Amino acid sequence: MATNMRGLTQFIADIRGARVRELEEKRINKEMANIRKRFKDGNLDGYQKKKYVAKVIFTYILGYKVDIGHMEAVNLISSSKYSEKQIGYLAVTLLMHENSDFLRLVVNSIRKDLNDNNEIHNCLALHAIANVGSQEMAEALAEDVHRLLISPTSENFVRKKAALTLLRLYRKHPDVIPAQEWALRIVSIMDDPDLGVVLCVTSLILALAQDHPDAYAICYQKAVDRLNRLVVEHEYPATYSYYKVPIPWLQVKLLRLLQYYPPSDDPTLQVMLQEVLQTIMNNCNEPSRNVQHNNAQHAVLFEAINLAIHLDTNSPLVNTAAVLLARFISSKETNVRYLGLDTMAHLAARTDNLEAIKRHQGTIILSLRDKDISVRRRALDLLYSMCDVDNSELIVGELLRYLKVADYGLREEMVLKIAILTEKYASTYKWYVDTILELLSAAGDHVGEEVWYRVVQIVTNTDDLQAYAAKVVFEYLKSPSSHESLVKVGGYILGEYGHLIANEPGYSPIEQFQVLHSKSQFCMAPTRALLLSTYIKWVNVFPEIKPQLVNVFERYRHVLDVDLQQRACEFYALSLRPEDDELLQNVCEEIPPFPPRESALLNRLNKKHADSEDKRLWAQGTNGSLERQPSKLMRKPTLAADTNGQRSDSNGNISQDIASSLAGLDLTSSPVAMQSPSSLSDPSATLAAKGIPRLTAGPNVDRWFDKLLYTPDGVLYEDVQIQIGIKSRYQGPVGQVAVYIGNKMSAPLTSFTTTLHNEEGEALSASFVKIAPSTLAPKTQIQQIVQVECKKVFRRPPILVVSFLAGAHQAIAVRLPIVITKFLEGVKLGPSDFFERWKLIGGPPREAQSIFPISLDATGHIDLVKQRQVVSGHGFQILEGIDPNPSNIVGAGIVHTAVEGKVGCLLRLEPNREAKLSRITLRSTSEEVASEAQKLLQKPLGADANGGPAEKRTL
Amino acid sequence: MIHAVLIFNTSGVPRLTKFYSPIEQSTQTLIEKIYSLVSSRQAELCNFLDAPELEPYLKPKDGDGEKLRVVYRNYATLYFVFVVDVAESELGILDLIQVFVESLDNAFENVCELDLVFHFDEAHHILSEIIQGGLVLETNVNEIDRAVQEAARVRKESFASANPLSLGGGGAVGSRSAGLQTPLGWLAGRLTGVGAR
Repeated sequence: MATNMRGLTQFIADIRGARVRELEEKRINKEMANIRKRFKDGNLDGYQKKKYVAKVIFTYILGYKVDIGHMEAVNLISSSKYSEKQIGYLAVTLLMHENSDFLRLVVNSIRKDLNDNNEIHNCLALHAIANVGSQEMAEALAEDVHRLLISPTSENFVRKKAALTLLRLYRKHPDVIPAQEWALRIVSIMDDPDLGVVLCVTSLILALAQDHPDAYAICYQKAVDRLNRLVVEHEYPATYSYYKVPIPWLQVKLLRLLQYYPPSDDPTLQVMLQEVLQTIMNNCNEPSRNVQHNNAQHAVLFEAINLAIHLDTNSPLVNTAAVLLARFISSKETNVRYLGLDTMAHLAARTDNLEAIKRHQGTIILSLRDKDISVRRRALDLLYSMCDVDNSELIVGELLRYLKVADYGLREEMVLKIAILTEKYASTYKWYVDTILELLSAAGDHVGEEVWYRVVQIVTNTDDLQAYAAKVVFEYLKSPSSHESLVKVGGYILGEYGHLIANEPGYSPIEQFQVLHSKSQFCMAPTRALLLSTYIKWVNVFPEIKPQLVNVFERYRHVLDVDLQQRACEFYALSLRPEDDELLQNVCEEIPPFPPRESALLNRLNKKHADSEDKRLWAQGTNGSLERQPSKLMRKPTLAADTNGQRSDSNGNISQDIASSLAGLDLTSSPVAMQSPSSLSDPSATLAAKGIPRLTAGPNVDRWFDKLLYTPDGVLYEDVQIQIGIKSRYQGPVGQVAVYIGNKMSAPLTSFTTTLHNEEGEALSASFVKIAPSTLAPKTQIQQIVQVECKKVFRRPPILVVSFLAGAHQAIAVRLPIVITKFLEGVKLGPSDFFERWKLIGGPPREAQSIFPISLDATGHIDLVKQRQVVSGHGFQILEGIDPNPSNIVGAGIVHTAVEGKVGCLLRLEPNREAKLSRITLRSTSEEVASEAQKLLQKPLGADANGGPAEKRTL
Repeated sequence: MIHAVLIFNTSGVPRLTKFYSPIEQSTQTLIEKIYSLVSSRQAELCNFLDAPELEPYLKPKDGDGEKLRVVYRNYATLYFVFVVDVAESELGILDLIQVFVESLDNAFENVCELDLVFHFDEAHHILSEIIQGGLVLETNVNEIDRAVQEAARVRKESFASANPLSLGGGGAVGSRSAGLQTPLGWLAGRLTGVGAR
């Protein structure tokens, strides 16, 4: 404690006693000189070092520059006494910046403290890294920090600090943090019971998820779940209620995190989120008189509105929000007005329908005259965002009027915005020219070059405008003082188009010349150069004033400015050439139209407001892009599905070899290289980046899966910790799959999460009815219902990922037995019907056929029971009496899909006992169904599918 | 992210300065700049301020164009000023200032400006339990108190072990020596009460 050091107390008291600044400085200089001397002499004990360093810190806090004490601070850090260590760390975090050379010296001490058993030392070290962490520290210490974050033995207060420290290191040096690899472990901390830890880890995830959205995608679900628990279920410790609002900071962060992702397709999440947002908005209908309570509640509300806008600008929620915002912008509370305008600008930038906002146009325009400049700025942003063709004249008019009295700090931005709006929403060219010229004359100093370049471009490219522009600019030039930008525009436009108006009274060449030339003497050299160019153009079109013009050139031939002198000499020579010479005419040819280009103005504005840390999926009005389109960062549907295309499966090769050696079986089509769905488990580096889990491998995993393809219930996965079972029911194109997950251990599984990865979202929808509870108690089982609907034919079954913390973070990813044949319903057909359809469908490509080896049962016969079981298990109706050979199986069924309708499917299976081979033929009105069903059926029928005794157990 | 936390009194004398991004120029000029921005604003104006003026001073790492906002609150003789970027919620920061003040108040038992002067290190320790590296670390006042007291206890122990004769004179938080105590002041009741700005 500082006051235990008498010398320090005295020093502080002296400085406080100093009546004038000079005395204070004198006292400080004296003290610093003394300390410098002491440090130089050396031989100080810990207490003395601490005292002197504390004095240095105090001096620094007063705002003085200090250049001593760094080395002593470094020494103090490695002291064994906490009081000295603490001051040392304080000095390091205050006096040093991340590039300081001294930091090299502390890396080792910091590592020692990070690994110390004393948590309070861990905290000091973490805090220091979080404040001054450099690239070098990131390389040296990232692992240690991560370990503190995820170690089950870390105290909560250590984990909080570790999360934020890791964030700092990630910002400094993203390459050393394996963000994707750590993703699931880090996200699982969002389920922590300690809200302080959740808050910090959410900050970390906010940053990581922006760079790796897919790897962190699971955080979406976690965020919704947590919000639901805070807002709807009121599930939080009382100490985290801030003036009756449950931890508003966390709510704000979660709401913001959700804005980094495109709206979820999962109906369960949508409903939950809807309820959360609705509750937040309802809560604000009861205003309280407590300032802090209101603040906290509004903080959450504004973020909730932003999220609602992000999700869907046409939702009823946004309508409610618009009503609330309207109330806010005329609130008596300045803070609320400010944020109301801010959020409304967001709404205006995103929505297609500005009506709700335009209703309050009057109030917003009044806000331009608010007594608070902060509010005025927001009003300006909002007006800019809400401007469109209908109200542009009014809004621009207001802005122009306000510009003349606006704060200087605001003017430049205003000018840019006015110029953009004028160009973008001009209803008539006349209005455009009038407005821009008024802008130039009203706020010339704040008009960047881009603005007048753009005017010239537009006038040049628009024939109808040229004469009018020349006239108006001439009128402006006649006023006694005109801004230089105006002179430039005038010089350019009159030079090019002055001749269009020269015949009208009041605009004769000599008058044009006199007006323009009278401005010349107040202008800078570049402007004068531009005027010289104007004059040479006039020499070409106005022979009557040639003597005056030549006179000007003559005088400028002797000025000092090189550019001016050269131009004058050249123009002089050019104008004195004989009358019939065509050179002048050619030189002064009318300017061709400019190629169309993006307005330089927008670029400028965008450059001004490049956001850095915040990549929310919307472009606010201030970003300049007025295109009312949804977020530009919206990603394409995530999967390029081709990762499993290249693998030629060994099974396929086998059957091919056999096929070629057995010509007797009449192979019209060579078998399709079989592609078992297990080839989904692919090199996982690319998959992890896309957030697709690597499938869990195990001796029985494939067998369990294959079995479930033709049975409705059974075990899907089992290990020493958990068991996953399935019960399923299908009706037409929809189905319900109940997933039973049991915890076999005697300890609870925390951060328990279930997710579905569905690669073919357009063809198959699959989602949980509700989110799983985040803890699974020991020896208990939970049931999660998955609703599925088959829209089109699909190939890849969805993947179920179950992850949890049991010591370490673990994830199990298995395919769910949801395949196209699950939507197959058997139909009874007579022989004639069957053959008629069989023929109607015809051969390839609507036929899929293959020949594959089978194994015989113990007695050397074909296992007909099993074969029939597989066929009917896949949904086919087995038709008797169609095929004369009793061991052949014939079946028929219809696949129900919601979008593509019903697809018929016929099957014929011909096992051959002698050859131990079987031929399967599928014909379907859809090629995809035929080939898919053929693959699905062949697997369990084939030789390699006949499992050992283990199989019986799972039944 | 929070770029800076500043406390200065109504005459512009800094009482606590903490920067979370490297600053380009002298802190004194920066503080004067912020002081002039904030102190010229009347009481009924809002607590937020766009501060393009500060960008040359507090340049974030990747160069141009970060929009900075100043969020401040005035408690009696002190201004609490946070400089933040767009990633922070303005009202959230306003709440955070309140949490900071309440934590100071708990630690010092009715905090006053002098506490911040003579216990500047303690004020920094408390701040470090709320904000770390520019990000909100903890918002639960009880939790903050607990951490601060724990640190104070360890410090006291280490102090006592180093000075066996000091008879436990290692300062507990809030034990101001009587000679320094002045009635200067704004009491916590007024500080944290309803309607305090």
